[in-house]
Amino acid sequence: MAKILFYGRLSECSDTLDITLPKMIKTTSDLMVWLGSQNPALKKALEANGNRVAVNRTMISTSCIITDKDEIAFMSPLSGG
Amino acid sequence: MTEAFDPELELARFRNYQKNTGAIVSFTGIVRSDADTLILSHYPGFTDDEVKRVGEQALERWGLKDYMIIHRVGEMQAGDVIVLVAAASRHRRDAFEATDYIMDKLKSDVPFWKQEKRDGAVKWIEPRAQDKDDLKRWET
Repeated sequence: MAKILFYGRLSECSDTLDITLPKMIKTTSDLMVWLGSQNPALKKALEANGNRVAVNRTMISTSCIITDKDEIAFMSPLSGG
Repeated sequence: MTEAFDPELELARFRNYQKNTGAIVSFTGIVRSDADTLILSHYPGFTDDEVKRVGEQALERWGLKDYMIIHRVGEMQAGDVIVLVAAASRHRRDAFEATDYIMDKLKSDVPFWKQEKRDGAVKWIEPRAQDKDDLKRWET
């Protein structure tokens, strides 16, 4: 099962998902499109500027291959300090 | 990531650890009174690693003797200390720059999220254009 986490503004659109990824999902981009198709509010939030994506707690800057063993996090713009 | 802490005590403790250090620069971030409450959230198991990574980058880049980063999460009120950063080095310039760098990274490049409660309404605070420009200063 893949774990899909949402942080910041995106956490308002979805709870954490523990799911078996549908077969057609091979990458983080595929996952983003699929999540958006399930949830219109999340689709809009995922398309906003400045979001980050992490796979297994590493930030990624381009789409990346994922499997059912991965933890994928979608994050709205970071703001600390 | 921590609950409320005493920045003076932590800084004194940090200073006492140091040997052959010529300079300590520290930054204390305080919640302004613009909002009723500030809520800081983080990504457990990831934020700590990213905070440490930023500290280690600064340690290496400025050849620091040591550094300290304490960042609160949870609900805070005006006047509460939200973050304490300190850098120790042989000479002052390195400690000033390293502290500035660490703060810029914490502001918009480490997994923290900020919400502000004002008159009962909650809104997400996102980095300002200034925060992004600040971060760019270190890209060399």
